[in-house]
Amino acid sequence: MKSIFFHLMPYPELPPDFPEQHRSVWVDIDPKLYDPTVGHQTYNAYLDQLEFAAQCGFDAVGINEHHSNGYGLMPSPNIIAAALSRNCPDTNIVVLGDSVALYNPPLRVAEEIAMLDGITGGRMIAGFPVGSPMDTIYAYGQNPATLRERYHEGVDLIRQAWTSDEVFSFNGNYNKLRYVNVWPRPVQQPHPPIWIPGGGSVDTWDWCAAEDLVYCYLSYFGYKAGLRTMQGFWKKVQELGKETNPFQGGFAQFVAVADTEAEAWDLYREPAEYFFNTCLHVYAGYADPPGYKTPNTVRAGVEGMVERAAREATARREANAADAAKAGSAKPSFGSKKLSFEEMVEKGYIILGNPTQVTEQVHELATTMNVGHLMVFSHFGNMDPELVKMNTEMYATKVMPEVAGLFEDDYEDHWWPKTDHQLAPVGSRAQ
Amino acid sequence: MNAGAPLAGHFAPGTLPYRDGHIGIVELGEGPTVGYLHGMLGNPGVHAVLEELAATGHRVAAPSLPGFTGSSEPEGLRTLHDWVVATSEVVDLAGLTGAPLVASSVGAMLALELAAVRPEAFGSMVLVAPFGLWDDGDPVADPFGTTLSVQRAMLTEDTAASAAFFDDPSDLPADMVVEHGVHRYLTRTAAAQLIWPLPEWGLADRLHRVTNPVTLVHGAKDRIIPASYLERWAGALPNVAGTHLLDEAGHQADFDQPAAVARIAAAAFA
Repeated sequence: MKSIFFHLMPYPELPPDFPEQHRSVWVDIDPKLYDPTVGHQTYNAYLDQLEFAAQCGFDAVGINEHHSNGYGLMPSPNIIAAALSRNCPDTNIVVLGDSVALYNPPLRVAEEIAMLDGITGGRMIAGFPVGSPMDTIYAYGQNPATLRERYHEGVDLIRQAWTSDEVFSFNGNYNKLRYVNVWPRPVQQPHPPIWIPGGGSVDTWDWCAAEDLVYCYLSYFGYKAGLRTMQGFWKKVQELGKETNPFQGGFAQFVAVADTEAEAWDLYREPAEYFFNTCLHVYAGYADPPGYKTPNTVRAGVEGMVERAAREATARREANAADAAKAGSAKPSFGSKKLSFEEMVEKGYIILGNPTQVTEQVHELATTMNVGHLMVFSHFGNMDPELVKMNTEMYATKVMPEVAGLFEDDYEDHWWPKTDHQLAPVGSRAQ
Repeated sequence: MNAGAPLAGHFAPGTLPYRDGHIGIVELGEGPTVGYLHGMLGNPGVHAVLEELAATGHRVAAPSLPGFTGSSEPEGLRTLHDWVVATSEVVDLAGLTGAPLVASSVGAMLALELAAVRPEAFGSMVLVAPFGLWDDGDPVADPFGTTLSVQRAMLTEDTAASAAFFDDPSDLPADMVVEHGVHRYLTRTAAAQLIWPLPEWGLADRLHRVTNPVTLVHGAKDRIIPASYLERWAGALPNVAGTHLLDEAGHQADFDQPAAVARIAAAAFA
């Protein structure tokens, strides 16, 4: 099993009363809350953490794209990938991913990933999400009724651009290009592995299963809650008579390791509460714009990950309001009842414990969900950099070796950069 | 006319073949034909404004645009131009060509777009809170970046007025409740497609072509398009026959004040 150190890059200094005073961490988060000096320190600290994870031996480092978002400071993941590409010469980089429909034309993604593949010598994995409603519909003004068609056309364009050895014309509904010619070409031929981050759309399961693409469920709610979604994907794979190769699946999981369980409970409480109670303070009105889901997904009653986050925040908020009303308070508040750290751990949102306990849970996750690619959130919320370092190193040295062999003997990972195709570091990177 | 389409008895008593699918249609009354082009709520079955219009001595034909209540999902409708062509086809298919028209909200916007290129598609028009203009200093609100319950409150002043759309019929079998929800979702999707992200597609530059007499109606409590837009429309259209600001009416004043809208229409079409 591959372990990917994954970073969301949350803004670490949202005020303690953020949930009470503000409607949403996403889309209409108050611009005045952003301090560029904090941003400068934060970007550099997070890049240090990604580079440290690479040095610790993670199979890859991973990043993603969000817009107008207080818990995701990467509107352009390719910029972060570029910053990493020279300092992590031996590690693969998972961009999970570029929201294809937001690029005009999406050819830009094909070019930038090809550039990054060139710089890294063939160590890129390209993720193509539809993108969350907050990012695509609200922050970037895409039309929900046409977003998915535009997205699929964009992915089709990128794949054609990477695989064609001729200059060609692309006559799409949303992209009219007389000359398609990606220069430079990716090192990995025909192209880097393609992973699709999904949030529960049944049509995405069908598509990934049919096209042999990796389906990644980037959940914030852990392996216990994510099981149904991954089972939905594997059911589609089985229906097509294909092999349920765990390397065709990916999952994200918060992990908190310490020498003892007691120490872990003590160390990780604050950053966990910051993430789940402040960073996930998302206004429910942004979670489900009409048209974002396909009719099949509506019919199946499948709930997306951010939709769930918003719904749970709203439920807590309403409970809070009811309590306030009972207490006779007339003060309006956006605040939610807090999710307790104990609940986060009990429900599996966070895998916590000593190395043995964490290893057992990661093993359970991988085998029950049948996933061979684990995106590990060793950083979350406003975690202190020294604690991130400890968490990262302990996972890399005490957990990862215990789970690295999972699935490796029985399945081939067709969706990972092939080492025999990679180019050795050159120039100053060679030293 | 075809029957038997899913939920035919709830969202569309009748259907007409259209391209590879069908459109839903509600027809009521006898007399000279009046067309009705729905707004964001579509045609949730037979509803009050249609009954009130029929009671004024008209035959009312209310087709559902592609994707809206009772019609099949739209195919190939990506741009505003596609929608204007589809509207033109639907008007002809429903036998409304040249007839007087009551249109609301997104339907009123499409009626104006069609009239700008094909004025003969309609006779006189009564338009309830059309989308299509934008003022930076007095912007149109976003009816989609919100929860469903808030959206419902934005559409009509009296939330009970939209019950046929938002509430599942009590006599519907459980499996059809799901389909009812899917139809509701598709209707909201089609409306969103027409006005997302901002409901302004350059219509103001085309309005000089709309020579039809237009009577404007606006809900005084419209929480989506401010009531001030009534005067903006009156100033922008070349042939305004009258303006009416209705108290106790929200965005879909045709649902909040169906009798008043019907009276205004009957007078305009007399």
